[in-house]
Amino acid sequence: MTDSMTNSPIIEAKGLSKSFGDFHALKSVDFSMPMGRIVGVIGANGAGKTTMLNAILGLTSYDGSLNVLGYDPATERDALMKDVCFIADIATLPKWMKVSEVLDYVEAVHPKFDRAKAMDFLSRTNVPIDKKVRALSKGMTVQVHLAVVMAIEAKLLVLDEPTLGLDIIFRKRFYQSLLEEYFDEDRTVIITTHQVEEVEHILTDVMFIKDGNIVLEADMEDLTQQFIEVMVEKGKEEEALALKPISHGASFGKETCVYKNIDRETLAKLGETRRLGLADIFVATMTGDGQ
Amino acid sequence: MNIFKALVMREILDGKSFYIRTPAILASLTVVLLVLSTLILGEIHLDTVNGNEVKNIGEGMALLQQKEPEEVSSAVTLMYWGITMLTWFAFPFVIFFSLLGTLYEERRDRSIMFWKSMPVADWQEVLAKLFVPLIVAPLIFLGVTIATQLVISIFMGIVVLFQGGPALEMFPLGLMFTSWVILLGHYLMGMLWGLPLLAWLLLVSAFANRVPFLWAVLPPFVLVAIEGIFLKSYSVAKWIGIHMGGWREALENRIVQNIDGPRDVFNLVINAGLTESAAITFSSLNMWVGIVIAAGFTYAAIEMRKRAI
Repeated sequence: MTDSMTNSPIIEAKGLSKSFGDFHALKSVDFSMPMGRIVGVIGANGAGKTTMLNAILGLTSYDGSLNVLGYDPATERDALMKDVCFIADIATLPKWMKVSEVLDYVEAVHPKFDRAKAMDFLSRTNVPIDKKVRALSKGMTVQVHLAVVMAIEAKLLVLDEPTLGLDIIFRKRFYQSLLEEYFDEDRTVIITTHQVEEVEHILTDVMFIKDGNIVLEADMEDLTQQFIEVMVEKGKEEEALALKPISHGASFGKETCVYKNIDRETLAKLGETRRLGLADIFVATMTGDGQ
Repeated sequence: MNIFKALVMREILDGKSFYIRTPAILASLTVVLLVLSTLILGEIHLDTVNGNEVKNIGEGMALLQQKEPEEVSSAVTLMYWGITMLTWFAFPFVIFFSLLGTLYEERRDRSIMFWKSMPVADWQEVLAKLFVPLIVAPLIFLGVTIATQLVISIFMGIVVLFQGGPALEMFPLGLMFTSWVILLGHYLMGMLWGLPLLAWLLLVSAFANRVPFLWAVLPPFVLVAIEGIFLKSYSVAKWIGIHMGGWREALENRIVQNIDGPRDVFNLVINAGLTESAAITFSSLNMWVGIVIAAGFTYAAIEMRKRAI
């Protein structure tokens, strides 16, 4: 694959907006997502994440222009779904179907579904193939859905709170298999979740959404380098405050300061430095100081 | 086509208890009741019009064959239909509740999000959901009826054989076959007339957020009441009545016959009515207006499904 193809965006939105009556869920946002990325879309409840994803997936109407893999999602959802997969919510598999019947159906309607791959994935779980979805536990239901999605040769995978209500062991395994068995440079994955710590190590990009606006769009590597926390050594407090930290507090009897876009060598003279986690960056950004 | 087939299979699977279990149970019940009543009652004592006493079915058949041989196959076919009618009592309910639930349930259990993650267009989904109750369900019911009638004919053949009657007369297969095909034709005609009402159920199923049953029934009822109270007329009620089967009234003017024996009944009910029905149906403006309304409702249902999450 050439660089130009890899870098050409698979999603491009210009002036994308959506209102429900007086409530503006998306306020004319512009963004693009390239191929071969894992993008975390992070925001508080009601920030507009799901509305944005629904627009991308052709599940809702919208104003503005939106192009996903060359399709207009609002009018070409069925064609788009040949190259896009999504898990919208864990409870969406039809409960009255047997697992094997779910596979039969997908095999019949989806040209890019590889049943052997799905069976291989399921064989490593203890999901009973001949049971109805209704009889499965929450975790098993997600495993079935994941097996279906993993077995589809899609270019874009959208996961909206995929691990909601699942135990921590399963969540770890979920993201691990996503990274190891599914993701490659010809695919893009979009994830929204509240459990930011669990996904931050696999993300390549992040997008922060607040009140229907995209407040930050950044490469994960760049972003974590921008924010540095310093445990200021005793006697250097004034020096530290002079560099204008975006927030400061105290822990273990020492002053801690968070800085944005100040080089690490300068900060190292003040005390011990460390990178900030995504959750802390999110909080710092949302509270306004970090912007 | 492959996608449509998959959708049809899925709908049948989803409505298995409606489409398969219901007719199978009723048909089995019919056979069991028939067998039990024959075994328990054993002999019947009937005085025929001519004063001959008939002890059982075998003798009755022998007598009929002797007196009016040309009536036998019609009588037997009509009898089989009469016995298997029980299965069809459930049929209107099956159609009504399948159509009313089909686009409602998938929103309620959120499986719509899974269906929408597949490369299947909303119009394909909605048409499959209309096709299965209207075309596949009656075919399944007819299939069950055919199987039941064959089982009954074998049973009756054995009974009559043992009672010394004309056992072979219990297999009027040619006439039975005719009746199956022709009743399917009658069904299709009735379905075309009923299409606006059936498509209304589909539309309700697409937009109702709760109590689809009330949505299906109340608006037409309110319309009829308003018209009755304020205009003192009943054209809405009449229109609904005509599309539910009232159109057949026009048949009475066309078919004037003296009914004498099962053969005439057979010809009237099953046979001759079909061409007359077809003539009335396809030349009726009312019917075609109904088709246009049905197309509008179906289009609206497709648009609703596009927007549904």
